[in-house]
Amino acid sequence: MKKNIFYKIFFSYLVIICLSFFLLDLFVRDEIKNVLTSKVETELFSYAQLLDLNSSVKIAQQLKQIAKISNSRVTLIDARGKVLADSEKESSLMENHLNRPEVQEARLKGMGRSVRFSSTIGIDMLYVAIAIKDGRETTGYIRLARSLHDVQSVIETVYQSFFLAMIIVGITALAIALIFSYSLAAPILAMERFTEKLRQGHPVGTILLETADETKKLADNINYLVDELQSQIRMANEEKSKLMTAFTSMTEGILILNAEDKIEFVNQALSNIFSEQYGDINGKTLMEAFRNADLQKAFLDFKQTRINVFCEITLGNIEPVILSVSISAVHGYPEEEKTMIVFHDVTRLKKLEQIRVDFVANVTHEIRTPLTAIIGYLETIKTGATVNDNDAKRFIDISLKQAQRLNRLLEDLLVISKIELGELQFRFEEVSLRDALEGVIPLVEAKARLKKINIHNDVQENMPYIRADRDRVAQILVNVLDNAVKFTSEAGDVYIEAGQKDNNAVLTITDTGIGISKEEVQRLGERFYRVDRSRSRDLGGTGLGLSIVKHLMIAHGGKMEIESQLGHGTKVSLLFPIHKV
Amino acid sequence: MEEKRHTSLHYEVELQEIKNGLIYIGVLTENAIQNAMKSLSERDSEMAHKVIKDDDEIDKLDAEMEERCIRILALRQPTAIDLRFITTAIKVTGHLERIGDMAVNIAEKAIQLNDEPKLKPYIDLPRMTDLVVEMVNNSLDSFIRYDLNIAEKVRQTEQITDDLNEQIFRELLTFMMEDSKCIHRALLIMHVSKNLERIADHAKGIADMVTYMVTGENVRHQTRDISAKEPA
Repeated sequence: MKKNIFYKIFFSYLVIICLSFFLLDLFVRDEIKNVLTSKVETELFSYAQLLDLNSSVKIAQQLKQIAKISNSRVTLIDARGKVLADSEKESSLMENHLNRPEVQEARLKGMGRSVRFSSTIGIDMLYVAIAIKDGRETTGYIRLARSLHDVQSVIETVYQSFFLAMIIVGITALAIALIFSYSLAAPILAMERFTEKLRQGHPVGTILLETADETKKLADNINYLVDELQSQIRMANEEKSKLMTAFTSMTEGILILNAEDKIEFVNQALSNIFSEQYGDINGKTLMEAFRNADLQKAFLDFKQTRINVFCEITLGNIEPVILSVSISAVHGYPEEEKTMIVFHDVTRLKKLEQIRVDFVANVTHEIRTPLTAIIGYLETIKTGATVNDNDAKRFIDISLKQAQRLNRLLEDLLVISKIELGELQFRFEEVSLRDALEGVIPLVEAKARLKKINIHNDVQENMPYIRADRDRVAQILVNVLDNAVKFTSEAGDVYIEAGQKDNNAVLTITDTGIGISKEEVQRLGERFYRVDRSRSRDLGGTGLGLSIVKHLMIAHGGKMEIESQLGHGTKVSLLFPIHKV
Repeated sequence: MEEKRHTSLHYEVELQEIKNGLIYIGVLTENAIQNAMKSLSERDSEMAHKVIKDDDEIDKLDAEMEERCIRILALRQPTAIDLRFITTAIKVTGHLERIGDMAVNIAEKAIQLNDEPKLKPYIDLPRMTDLVVEMVNNSLDSFIRYDLNIAEKVRQTEQITDDLNEQIFRELLTFMMEDSKCIHRALLIMHVSKNLERIADHAKGIADMVTYMVTGENVRHQTRDISAKEPA
């Protein structure tokens, strides 16, 4: 860069200098020569005219002196061109001089001149001739010749001075070019380095220049641009990191397709949901990645219109995941049409919705069943079935039983809704599990005795106290024990044991009853969920017992665990937090 | 296998469209099998009717796919693996269409079975269904990814479905021997099982085509020789 500028400046100076010398030479050299030659010529003419005043004989006699004084060669020629006398050569040996240009010119005009290269001496010679007149007749010619050696040497001297001046000017130009190019290139070089660093992405400050010319303005502009650029980059980065944080931390799955409809970006949530099932899906098409007909259909719909499309898809067979999907165009890419797909997992919502729908249906059903029975019997009584007292009594008994069941159901529902609303007040205190059990067992013993079921209470007295509400614990135990007795066939056993696990007291109630299949264990605790609907209702359950237990246990900070094997019995473990002293 | 990009971007897009289209048909047939079997196990004849109706879509897509492949053959004149890809695609779509028809067969049998009381709880049939669906899925996977390992896995699974079919056949035979009233139902179930087994055969057919596509070597008849030696 610096080199280039230097050479450019230096050579342009050099060209100007050379050109000026060339022109000088062109115009001045001939001028000097002419001036000097004409001076010599005038001088020679003067001598010749002086000589003309004398007679030819005298001239011939004094030829040598004349030549010496005039510093020239003097030749006396007669009218026919014959050399009469010459100051340097023997006249008789010389040829006829009439055809010499200067002589011819003199013959015609009275005086003549000529410059010729003399082969005898090897330099330019100036010849001057005048005609000697006698009256009107030319009697001869006087010719004077002088070498132009002096003229030549004067010119050479002048030129030597010229060349010296040229060299001095050249050196000066070189120096100026150096300084000038350096002063011009330095700021440019500084800016070049600065922008190069910027281009490579190194942090740069501002560029400072000591100049005050246009480069300074340029530098100022660069500084301004860099500032602007950096603040824009910073803003873009900030926006990007905000977006990325949002993308990675949000629970919705996000997927971006590039213009070729291949997956370009998948956020954390989505890859978490699908990594096991689908592996790495980057670079695949939607169809390859998800293999879902509904999704593909929705996507094709979207591609036709590029208007947002919403759909709901179900992925997976064994554990289906229901996703609500929204497909929309990514704006800001006019050239390539990118697509963003947002997946929202609604499996839980759908499940809850299903449970709610089921609940309402169940409640109506559960309430209507006893009511139908009551209304039916009451109508029978009203229409006169009371003829037989026994029948009437039986009908009333049944109606009462059903009304009581209805009452129980409503109570249970009330308890559950209170727990769920958080309105149930708990009085936590230290409760002995053994005491609680002893208060509860008599309540179920009667029923157990009818079915010849033995209840084995193996709870030791040294069990730690639990932190619980005494009445609620009783309610929990009644529900669980009641279930155990209810679902155990005749002559079975119910075992009650207690132990300790971590910070919990564990009460396990094991029966030898009908058991529950694995799939159904998961659903226990759902309201109105019954493993065997008809049978359970026969046994007088409301379908809310375990649901209440589950909620109460959670309210106590404990939990209920159920293990069961179909046909072999069920084991219910109740984990209560131990009361800390 | 790493795919090289073609110089013509549009050609690339066309090949990708064929892949996507095949997966789409594949997904539809997989759903058809599953739904047909679900209509049987959950005694849902409505779903069975839907499977029969939806098969029209598969048939239509199959015809479209074939036409698209032929157009590429005519316009692009593919060579080497691309040529084998297109010819294989034509065959694969044919296999898939046949699988769809089998699903329809199963659905038809399901409708008949649902009109009668359940013969027995289905244990082996759901297992077989899962295997068969996985085979169809894997065979398509191997086709899309040029993956010989998956193709090999499909070939191995085919043997298991054969055995399961055999087992179901024997079990149903005992039912029929015990009670002649259940012969009709048993035969229908046997049909279902046989159809599942044939779907597995088609999946294996796809896997064989994939091996041919990737290596250029024909393996179709080698494996058939081995299975032919075993008792039917």
